[in-house]
Amino acid sequence: MNPAAWLLLPGLVLLPVLLLLPLALHGGGWSLIGGFLAAAVQPSLDPALLAASGRGLAVTLAVALWSWLLSLVLGLAAGLLSAPLVVAELCGQRWPALVLRRLLALPRSLHELLWGLLLLQGLGLQAGVAILAIALPYGALVARVVSDQVEALDPGPLRALRTAGSPAWAALLQALGPPLLPGVLSYGGYRLECALRSATLLGVFGLGGIGADLRLSLQSLQFREAWTSLWLLGLAMLLLETLVALLRRRWLLPGASVGRRGRELLLAGAVLAVLLLPAGHLLGLDGRCLLGPWSWPAPTDLWTNAGWRQPWPALVGSTVGLTLLATALAVAAGPWLVLLLRPWPRLLLPLQALGLLARLLPPPLTALLLLFICRPGVLPAALALAFHNAGVLGRLLLEQLAAQDPRPEQALRSAGAGPRRALLQAAFPAVARTYLAYGAYRGDVILRETVVVGLVGAGGLGVVLLEALSSFAWGDVVPVLLVYAGLTLAGESLADGCRRRLLLAREVG
Amino acid sequence: MEPLLELRDIALAGRDGRPRLQQLSLQLHAGERVALLGPSGAGKSSLLAVANGLLSPQAGSVLWDGVPAGRGRRRQRQQAAIGTLWQDLRLVEELSVQQNLNAGRLAAWSWPQVLLNLLLPLETDACRQVLARVELDPGLLPVPVTALSGGQRQRVALGRLLRQGARLLLADEPLAQLDPPLAARLLQLLLQLGSAPRGLLLSLHRPDLLAGFDRVLGLRQGQLLWDTVPAAVTAEQLEALYAGGSGP
Repeated sequence: MNPAAWLLLPGLVLLPVLLLLPLALHGGGWSLIGGFLAAAVQPSLDPALLAASGRGLAVTLAVALWSWLLSLVLGLAAGLLSAPLVVAELCGQRWPALVLRRLLALPRSLHELLWGLLLLQGLGLQAGVAILAIALPYGALVARVVSDQVEALDPGPLRALRTAGSPAWAALLQALGPPLLPGVLSYGGYRLECALRSATLLGVFGLGGIGADLRLSLQSLQFREAWTSLWLLGLAMLLLETLVALLRRRWLLPGASVGRRGRELLLAGAVLAVLLLPAGHLLGLDGRCLLGPWSWPAPTDLWTNAGWRQPWPALVGSTVGLTLLATALAVAAGPWLVLLLRPWPRLLLPLQALGLLARLLPPPLTALLLLFICRPGVLPAALALAFHNAGVLGRLLLEQLAAQDPRPEQALRSAGAGPRRALLQAAFPAVARTYLAYGAYRGDVILRETVVVGLVGAGGLGVVLLEALSSFAWGDVVPVLLVYAGLTLAGESLADGCRRRLLLAREVG
Repeated sequence: MEPLLELRDIALAGRDGRPRLQQLSLQLHAGERVALLGPSGAGKSSLLAVANGLLSPQAGSVLWDGVPAGRGRRRQRQQAAIGTLWQDLRLVEELSVQQNLNAGRLAAWSWPQVLLNLLLPLETDACRQVLARVELDPGLLPVPVTALSGGQRQRVALGRLLRQGARLLLADEPLAQLDPPLAARLLQLLLQLGSAPRGLLLSLHRPDLLAGFDRVLGLRQGQLLWDTVPAAVTAEQLEALYAGGSGP
């Protein structure tokens, strides 16, 4: 089958969704939705509110910066120590790396929101909680990417330098550092964007920043105030994405000299390090808070037999169902919209703006808006998750399409094919595999994110977990946490398998 | 004077358990340029890997300058005196010519110098001299090695050995991928660099390039068949060496 057809296939999921949607609508709040959309062009410009929103944004940015840098440091260290090639050079054995690799699966199996709530119980409400909550799972994710990249490197230069008498660490740095750098830079930039989204999301759940402002103004139906925050956040996100793309282009240019790039990187690192200080001051960070006092539950509370009596099939089933539905919708949205709007290139800009809105609006808030017109259930939860992730996936699709060689499509156009047919026959097949591979990875992210839309009655493991955590029902927390972690790990290896097969087929084909 | 390299009764087993080298002994003194001749699969790469310390033999001993392999810092100093020109060169592709040349200094450098090599052009004069010795234009110093031709890359790899200060030069089939005029020029350069106080052990599978070497070793199925001067190699000896294709 033509890979372009795979791009459109997930769109089939729209049929049942469109059939079920009328049943789920209650129609009570269309005027509210209208009010929300109308407020987009008239955000509140009240100076006091602007100042408060600006401060909220600064807090969110500070949390994002700290957690991102911490996750990079943790992730690089853990990634190198879980790469057999590196560990074998340092201590002569491969197994410590393999053990660490397995252990790192645990921190990344939990969504940052769950980490946030767990740490909140232990440490109390403070800025350090949000930072750690993001840095721990992100660090484990970075570690996996780094160690995978190290394993994919050619060990030849390393062996050559070692045989020439170089000490282990110097050979590792010179032989593996430069080839590792582009991948780490590219992935690191992407993680910064993710960190901003996560910091906003944690705010929605009470950990401070602009997310908290957004939730408050949406819940009190102050849409003009909400849009003040949204515009600020959108501006920040746009600036950040542009900056990251700019640096990525500059530093990943093939043939760029490592020396010059290294000096610029050092400079960038110094700037970031200087920024950490005011950011830490703004958050009132205090390293001593990590030392305690910790308030953990008694071990006897953690393990109760009653906690294991849950309706497991229903919980797991609805989590998986929600994930599949949201993933299919998120993957389908981009290609179908691009295809439909192809004859009118001017509509690309509004489409990009919609994508930006999707990325910056945290899924629980989208779900909250959907509840104005929708009955609680799986559908609004899936739509909210799909909207957010379609924004992330859509940007990738547009970037890929823009980077394609335009000549095949032009050739088809000049042979008389319509704009949609030319796109379908020329550009889509070229981008399909990479896009779908990223879609598989996104499915893995969505599975973890099912927790954050528990509010709207989607059911599943996430809701039980959130309720148990907020009511200190530790006997329920532990079993659900274990099952949830097992499920996300299974999902991760499934998504990995899909991705590898898609990308492998691209190289062979 | 102690030989640069001495192998005594070396035995090395392959991954499949079959012997790759057996009962192998040889000495190489400073100033000697030795060709290692044999069909593919004879064990030439294994012999070079034992000689540069990459592989440890199951039996026998390896001595560099009359001293067996040490540990830690001492081993690193011993390794620094051995320079290997790898068949696949093993340059760090992302670095410039100068950075790759300087990678040969890692054994001698302190850690600030190692870090700085990734940021700044270091010891430019020494690098220029090395480039001149391997007959490359000093203007290539800031160029990324990916932008060079195959022959230029080989010379950069050779320059890295000179920066390293290696006295024992080992080269694994360096002429295999080159067309005849280029191969002849590189061989001249290697022979020149391999003269005293250095020594050269170079593996070949073609017997037509032996002129200029001081000794020739014939290796077949992991054993030395003969060890003689190039002029004394007979057609019968070559025939015995290559008989029956590449061995079992």
